[in-house]
Amino acid sequence: MATRIGTSMNVGQRAMMNSQAALHTVSHNIANKNTEGYSRQKTETFSNFPNGVGKMRTGTGARAASIQRVNNPYLEKQLAGEKSQLGFLSGQSTALLRLEQVYNEQQSDGLNSSIGKFFNSFRELSTNPENMAKRIAVKESADLLTRDFNRVHEQLQDIRKEANGQVLIQVNETNKVAEEIASLNMQIQKVEISGGFANDERDRRDALLKQLGELIDIKWAEGKDSTVTISTADNAILVVGNEARRLEAVPTPGRENKAEGDFDIQYYHHEHAEPMVLTERIRGGKLGGLLSVRDGDVGEFERKMDSIAFEIGNRVNDLHRQGHNAYNQAGGDFFAHVEEQRGASGSIKINPTVLGDVGRIVAGMDPNSPGDNRVANMIGELQYSKSLLDGATSVDEYYNGIVAEMGLRTQKVNNLLETQEGVVRQLENLRESYSGVNVDEEVASMIEWQKQFDASARVIRTADEMLETVINIRRY
Amino acid sequence: MRVADKMNYNQSLNAINKNRSEMMTYQNQAASQKRINKPSDDPLGAARILEKKTEMQGFEQYKRNILSAKEFIEYSEQSLSQASELLIRAKELAIDQADDAANGPDSRRIVAGEIRQIYEQMVNIANRRFGDRFLFGGYKSMTTPFDMTGTYFGDDSEMDVQIEKDAYITMNMPGSVVFMGKKLHQQLPPDKVLQDDKTTVEVRGPASQNPSQDPLAPTAQTIANSAEGEWGIKSANVFEVLRDLEIGLKANDKSVVQNSLESLDNSISQINMARGELGSRVSSLNTGLETLQKLHVDSKVIQSEIEDVDMYDLVNNLSKTQTQLEASLATSGKMLKTTLLDFLR
Repeated sequence: MATRIGTSMNVGQRAMMNSQAALHTVSHNIANKNTEGYSRQKTETFSNFPNGVGKMRTGTGARAASIQRVNNPYLEKQLAGEKSQLGFLSGQSTALLRLEQVYNEQQSDGLNSSIGKFFNSFRELSTNPENMAKRIAVKESADLLTRDFNRVHEQLQDIRKEANGQVLIQVNETNKVAEEIASLNMQIQKVEISGGFANDERDRRDALLKQLGELIDIKWAEGKDSTVTISTADNAILVVGNEARRLEAVPTPGRENKAEGDFDIQYYHHEHAEPMVLTERIRGGKLGGLLSVRDGDVGEFERKMDSIAFEIGNRVNDLHRQGHNAYNQAGGDFFAHVEEQRGASGSIKINPTVLGDVGRIVAGMDPNSPGDNRVANMIGELQYSKSLLDGATSVDEYYNGIVAEMGLRTQKVNNLLETQEGVVRQLENLRESYSGVNVDEEVASMIEWQKQFDASARVIRTADEMLETVINIRRY
Repeated sequence: MRVADKMNYNQSLNAINKNRSEMMTYQNQAASQKRINKPSDDPLGAARILEKKTEMQGFEQYKRNILSAKEFIEYSEQSLSQASELLIRAKELAIDQADDAANGPDSRRIVAGEIRQIYEQMVNIANRRFGDRFLFGGYKSMTTPFDMTGTYFGDDSEMDVQIEKDAYITMNMPGSVVFMGKKLHQQLPPDKVLQDDKTTVEVRGPASQNPSQDPLAPTAQTIANSAEGEWGIKSANVFEVLRDLEIGLKANDKSVVQNSLESLDNSISQINMARGELGSRVSSLNTGLETLQKLHVDSKVIQSEIEDVDMYDLVNNLSKTQTQLEASLATSGKMLKTTLLDFLR
């Protein structure tokens, strides 16, 4: 069977269309070269099946079969997992850095210094218990000490509040992302059910999954219908099909190891279900990191500060009550009495009667003995007493231990964070290496397709000329 | 390896970021001159710095305590040295009047007047104040310790002042001991002997831990002369001795005057023993002060070793990082600029 000139024209025309499609893809790639999570796309062309029989089967050109993204799902999933860990660590790190500042005495004096000053003021008093100025110095140093305890307490509260604010933001963010993923699920399903490739939708969904993983620990799997199902905190389904279930941040009424007003994260299986508290089960992502610092570290350090304040307050009071003050009255409390250890660092203050009249400070044991300095000496001794708190460390050692512990935790998290950043960076490089856009490549490909476009046009023109020749054959 | 454009950008950005953050750390160190600017820079180091700071705070306080104790003790010692001189004068007078060779009732009466004056001066010395505190009243430091009859209104208490982490020194000497010869520390051995290895100082725990001492116990009124006193010598009630001498002289009783010679000797030894003890306290305070100063310097050195930055290292690191940063910037600039497009015309 003979070939026809028209066929060549057709082939040329289709080739031009292919070139245009491919150029379009190139332009799409170049346009998205900075888009986060974008995978470069490729136009696949196939050669058409030939016409004719036997040894003369003439080709019928090429057709653009599909536009597909270049993407390695395994790499994406790995990257998402590592990013989740990164989110967790960065959540912890942000909160810990704030916490660390509370205990930073490298630049200015803090609690360590005021504890020392407090006990030293009693030593000073012991050299001259008759002297009013020394008593005033005791009052001042005790005032400084209580203020410093209160300051630490308040700062810890602030960090807690700040963490709560962050939790609220992250929960809202989580809901937003989950909703977008649910709607993408639907779009992808629509495109792919008819055999298409939802390249850009999938890129966007992959990016969102990573983002979600950074916020909260998630597990997900893609079903045969192209939708992903996401669960968080062990088994709470966050997204299924085109439905996203909301998380809610709700102030807790206060329960064991939880301060009142802290945000709990609640989840509803369905609209009318009883809310389920997920707080303890969220162990990943920024949210997990924040919660672990808020409920773990901040709470722990609060309790430790409370126990120091409570112990100092009570032990000083015990001694103070044994003696007599400058008016020969039996000594009262030095610090205002605190019933409960919890919150003691926030409530510790000087007994108002002592604050109003330093003559009520007790230095000696016996009445009518203005030179008696035994109680002052005993209170001074408390600084080194190992019978306080856990029974093995002095107040100073205990507090310095807190600072060291704080530093160690921050250091550890920062080191892990740095390592994790390296891991993520490396994986991102791998991903980019595979899926990222290279302009040189695109330009080369552009030239390639342009040349094809030119050549195809030439084919059409040649065919046209040939046709003209055929039409004008009679004139010759 | 296929290199996507994003990789280039990320790499350049990361390199520059890393260099810049290193620069910042070093600049921070240069500004503060400290290696540790927050606990996480070196957690254990930070805790040790706090430990050293507390230690040094303590040293400062102990220094102040030592200085005020020293002032008090030195003033006590000075007063007792005057007391000792007075007694020596009394003894000279007593020796003069002890025989009948040149002495009659008249001269003894005149001398008795002089002894009376010595007695009064002695009471004044015993009532000396340091600031507004009486030196020899024990804890009753705001009450005049002796009246003109030599009755003691103070107590036997000793004011202990902390001069080191585990050491106290007694600041005062109760009038009952010095002037009346009361024995205080019978069954109480020094419970701590410590200081640096060169000197050994007797130290007693805080007074509160001393169960044998009851400041409310009856005052030293009843102590008899010539029983054994604080320092293992025969004790003497200085006021009684002087009064006896005065009475003896007034009565022109030679034997009383002669007898008083021995008790005057006892009085002088008693006062001098007290002076000796005060003197040794001062010298142990001086040693303590020196030790403290040494310890203070040691702590300071350790603190500096832990927290201060090594300038040589720092400058070295800074210039290294600077070079790195410049290299990163230069290569980034070159790398990011070039594309195939530049070569297509």
